[in-house]
Order: sequence, then C-alpha cells, then structure tokens
Amino acid sequence: MITTESVPASSADSILASQRLNRPVSPHLTIYQPQLTWYLSMTTRITGVGLSGIFYLYTIGYVFLSPFGVDMSIANISRKWGEMGTAVKMAVKAPIAAMFGFHFWNGVRHLVWDTGRELTVRGVYRTGYGVLGLTAASTLGLLVL
Amino acid sequence: MASTFRSTTRLLASRPTSAIRLLPHTRVAAFHASQRQQILPPGPQVVQGTVNDPVPIPTPNAAHGSYHWAFERLIALGMVPLCVAPFAAGTANPALDAALGTALVLHSHIGFDACVTDYFPKRQYPKLRSFMVWLLRGATVTVAVGLFSFQTNDVGLTEGVKKMWKA
Repeated sequence: MITTESVPASSADSILASQRLNRPVSPHLTIYQPQLTWYLSMTTRITGVGLSGIFYLYTIGYVFLSPFGVDMSIANISRKWGEMGTAVKMAVKAPIAAMFGFHFWNGVRHLVWDTGRELTVRGVYRTGYGVLGLTAASTLGLLVL
Repeated sequence: MASTFRSTTRLLASRPTSAIRLLPHTRVAAFHASQRQQILPPGPQVVQGTVNDPVPIPTPNAAHGSYHWAFERLIALGMVPLCVAPFAAGTANPALDAALGTALVLHSHIGFDACVTDYFPKRQYPKLRSFMVWLLRGATVTVAVGLFSFQTNDVGLTEGVKKMWKA
C-alpha cells in the first residue's frame, strides 16, 4: 500500500535546505589528488597569513601592551630573544625564513603570470618547481646570515 | 547522517513492499559514495529566490575590478625591491622603511580581506562577515598606528628585522 503526504509548496525552501546539509562541505581537500598547482596556491595563502600575522601581532602588541608597562621595544625583545639557545632560534627562524622565501618567490611567480607569461600547464609546473628550489636556497641563505 | 541512510536502506531492502513515504522525510542519497571527511560542519543553508533563478551579475565597477586588481599588483610589485633593497644596502633609510611599511600594511590588509571574503560568506554568515570585516579594519588601523610609532620612536622596520634576525 502506498501512502503519500501533502507537501505545501511553501516548504520547498526548507526541504532544499535540509537536502543541502547532506552535501559535502567545502573545504573537502582529501577528495582531490595532491597536485603542485593547488598545494602551492594554498601554501601562498598560509605563508602570507603567517607572516602578516606575526607583523600584526607585534605591531598591535606595540600599541596595546606598551601602556601596561610591557617593554615591546626591539632593544628589549631582541636581547631576550638573543638569550635563547641556538636550537630554539633555528626552530623558529627556519620556518619563518621558509615562509618568507616561499611567499616572496611565489609572489614573483604570480607577477610573471600577471604579464601573461608561463600560463601553460608546462609553465605552471616549471615555475612551481623553480619556486620550490629558490625557496630552499633562500631559506638556507637566510639561516646562515 | 551516513549511518541513518544505511539503516533506512537496509530497512527498505528487507521489506521491499514497505510504504513509500514522500517528502518531507526525504531520503537523500549521499552525494559521494566515498567516506565523508569534512573539516567543518555544514553552515546554515540559505535559499534565496528559487533554484532556477540566474546568479545576479554585479554592476561593473572598475574600482572593484580592474583598478583594484592593478592596485594590488602595483603594491606587490613594489614590495619585491622594497623587501630586498634595505637589507642589501645595509643601511636603514627612513624613506625606504616608510615605503616598505606602508606597502606591508596594505598588502597584509588586502590578503586578510581576501581570506575574510572567502571563509565568511556573506550569504551564510552575514553578521559574522561584517564583524570580521570590521575586526580586520580595526586591526589594520591599529597596526598602522603601531607601525608609525615603531618607525618614529623605535629603530624602524629594516633595523628591527635585522636586529631580531641576528640576535
């Protein structure tokens, strides 16, 4: 026996909304094959947010912590930072150097694309590997400074 | 959710003559057969108009389009030499520091703003979106104030970075 229910047209939106709750939710990164293209794209944003985050945190701290007697001056902070062990310094500096290097070089890669160059699959991969190589080199370079 | 689907499927399979109930107890097949590995729970589902409405086309505006794009690129392009020159030259120049600082604030703000636009969609989270937009604006203004104070009262951007890196 078949029973049916009367569904008013006005409930269409709520039915649609409840159906949509069953759809996959972005970001569903694991369903994509890891590829250089989107990995580098994602890394650009992450490194940018990381670097700007440090910049924002320090300058906002400079405004709001200084009135409370926290010495945010470079003289004080660099002295305290200088007292840390070499291992700690390297553990902090290496990722920062890598983040800066990557964001810098991939930024240049984007500017190259913006001129219309290297906008082929071959070009995207070639410049992508170039960015990774330059990042490795500049990270090492910054760490031995 | 997935287990609910499975149990209802099994129920139907064992009793093929069971009653077919229509909406609103909609049985929706999972969109993907593979395991769902979602990072975030689904946000509120907002249906505006009907599903057959075309996507509204925004009014063309160069300030939000090509000018904005060119401005972003101009800042980014300027930052390439500005990031290298002060450190390569070895001297802290207040004018270069000011230029790098200004570019850094603008570039950071544009970057964070793109993140807010992407991760707090206006359609689903209108209140949170405007909160985040204003939070970012407040943060950027505070950063600008802090940076100005840092550049004028402290050692300046280039020298500061150098001191921290070589400490």
